[in-house]
Amino acid sequence: MFYKLLTLNWRIFISNLNRFQLLLTIGYILFLGIMLVNLAGTAIVVVMLDSDPWMQLQLPWLTPEIYAFILLVFANTYWVMHFSFTNMRLMNIEENRKLLGFGFPLNRLAKYLTLIGFFHPVNIIYNLTWLVFLLIQVQEFYQVPVAIMTVSLNYVLIYSIKHRFIRVVEKRFIAVVIGLLILVFVLFQAISFFTSNSAQIFAEMIPQVETVNEFLMWLPGGVLVQTVTVSYGLQMAVIAFFFLTLLTGLIVIDHFNKTKEGLLNPGLRKAEEESSKLWVVLKTILGKNAGKYYFYVMKHPYNRLQVLTLAIIPVVYVPLLLNVDFEIAQTILIPTILAGIPVALLAMGMANMYGYENREFLLHLQFPLNLEKQLKERFLGVILVPLLVFYLITVFELLVIPEIGSPLQIFIANTFFFLMFMLLFVWSSYFQYQKATYSSFSYKHPIIPQKVTFVMSFLIFSMGYLVFVPLNGLEWYRLTIMSTVIVVMGVYLWRHMDVLVNLFKNRVLMRLWTEL
Amino acid sequence: MDRAVDINNLTKSYEEVPVLKGLDLEIPEGTIFGLIGPNGAGKSTLIGVLTGLLNFEQGEINIHGLELNERNELKIKRSIASVLQPPLLFEQFSSLEFIEYVCEVYEVEKEGLIEKAYSLLEYFDIKDFAKIKVNKLSSGSRKKLAFVTAVLVNPKLLLLDEPFESVDVISIERMKVVIRRLKAKGTTIIITSHILEVVENLCDDIAILHKGHIKAYLDSVSRKELQKDASLHEIFEKYVEVDRKDDMVDWL
Repeated sequence: MFYKLLTLNWRIFISNLNRFQLLLTIGYILFLGIMLVNLAGTAIVVVMLDSDPWMQLQLPWLTPEIYAFILLVFANTYWVMHFSFTNMRLMNIEENRKLLGFGFPLNRLAKYLTLIGFFHPVNIIYNLTWLVFLLIQVQEFYQVPVAIMTVSLNYVLIYSIKHRFIRVVEKRFIAVVIGLLILVFVLFQAISFFTSNSAQIFAEMIPQVETVNEFLMWLPGGVLVQTVTVSYGLQMAVIAFFFLTLLTGLIVIDHFNKTKEGLLNPGLRKAEEESSKLWVVLKTILGKNAGKYYFYVMKHPYNRLQVLTLAIIPVVYVPLLLNVDFEIAQTILIPTILAGIPVALLAMGMANMYGYENREFLLHLQFPLNLEKQLKERFLGVILVPLLVFYLITVFELLVIPEIGSPLQIFIANTFFFLMFMLLFVWSSYFQYQKATYSSFSYKHPIIPQKVTFVMSFLIFSMGYLVFVPLNGLEWYRLTIMSTVIVVMGVYLWRHMDVLVNLFKNRVLMRLWTEL
Repeated sequence: MDRAVDINNLTKSYEEVPVLKGLDLEIPEGTIFGLIGPNGAGKSTLIGVLTGLLNFEQGEINIHGLELNERNELKIKRSIASVLQPPLLFEQFSSLEFIEYVCEVYEVEKEGLIEKAYSLLEYFDIKDFAKIKVNKLSSGSRKKLAFVTAVLVNPKLLLLDEPFESVDVISIERMKVVIRRLKAKGTTIIITSHILEVVENLCDDIAILHKGHIKAYLDSVSRKELQKDASLHEIFEKYVEVDRKDDMVDWL
């Protein structure tokens, strides 16, 4: 039965992929392989750091205390990474719960899904790396089972905490955003301060490193390291193993019960009254149609996280990069990061315009309002918000970091950047609407897949180098070329907006009707 | 009597598969009209065409004397409201926000609108959901919300595609009351349904649609005549040439 369930889930996954997505998935699997090698490799290098004679020669300051410090920093940073990237998407409760209707026993289904959920490849990679990292440091044989059980307990704890954390995020989104912003800002400012004053800090810190280590040892990563670096004797190992197993078991049972509850109560959705001030604001600014569309974009939980990321990036990286004594950081990275923000907003709104409202478009079509007008208003709304952010960023750059270029340079470069990506999204939408079928963006779920986000980030940074790298004497040539291309792109976009509207009207709506 | 809907030789296909094949139909103004037929007969497609959601290859449709074409489209749409199956709602809005949005689009007078909306929501036992997001409503409540909204826009022609599906018995009775009151105000109502008892009890005229053709048009006079000897169920079975095939499950 477990085999059948796996086959079923695999088929659900595969049937939702087209060839392009299949290629992306293969790329993703390769990426996971590289990730495993990188993580495990880094762990091995960190552990072997003090035993290699060449390293000892190169790093004379690497005393046992400093080594322990590096080890603990790595372990704790890795734990934060593990926590952040633990993936919980494999359970697919909504699809799998249908099996209950066909007589699949509830307990068995919950048990299998709990297991499937734990075995996401990314999660396995993180746990394997923990095992590699810890087991190569083992000093006594009894530490092996204790380390393995600690890794298991750590994982189920992360899984469980994260599950609850996501619910907290959903409920208290704004509080979490502000909290996270402050946390990340302070953390990165500290790192920035540390990097620019490292020599002085090292000189002052070395005598105190043992105290710092004492603290780091009791953070989650440190506790894991202790299972293989501290001699606690066989008797203690047996007791620790017993309690670790008991706790792991209890948490797994708790998760199993939660899965069961989820399978039985899909309707346990909160039915609280909700006021939509955002809708009122957007309606006032953008009008009924574009306002509604942007309201939907902003209500989507994935986009809320995107906005959170977009808010964190400038707050964290811009002050950090301003402190770095590296000219390229200021002249290329800062403007690229900032120019990427309106692009990301544009991607959120434009990448999959019919995914947010989907069937609701049919109701818009029924309205006694010109559909073309309604669609055009949406397109304009999608452009207007990122454009507003674009201008705010340009003004910010001119006022706060004028060293990155002259006003004309900044304005032309940002406009070029913005229009270039807008053109990309128009083309992407054009092909997508022509097919009106699954593409790299699922048309039912308006989420930009991680793979596409990776490609987008790559494009943004490549474009950043093209647009912002200092050319000194040749700068005017580049400005002239960019200005010309801006005019061409502007005219092209202006003339081709109708094409999208027509495709939307003729292909997408037809498909929505047939799926009604 | 004026005609609310006048359809001549209507043909509609999906990717070369004909669904409506030269359909002719006249629906008098101010009547409750029932459209019945087996699955795949073309009922929802006909509703889709009338609401302007679907285009058609051939034929002519007149609604309240106006030909359904690009020129008259918006004028006609202003006079029509519909409840489709499944109902079309704005999932991210609360029930009340949805009603307000739609009424604003249809330019319904704002004065007293909220009171009317609340009174209808209360009548259908969904007042408590007024400020709850639409995507959290049950399928029955969604149907009732779509119905309430359609009523509030004061349509001259109300199209109801399986309006009683997943709605509780009490609410069905209340829907019937509202439909009769709308009729009394002069609204024409077209209902498609598989619940023949409700159609029989509620509708003035009934048409049986099968394989894209109107197989029978039963107005109040012909219904009386036909129903002397047979129930609507039996008439329906006769016109759609039902082969019961009961022997196929004799092994049970």
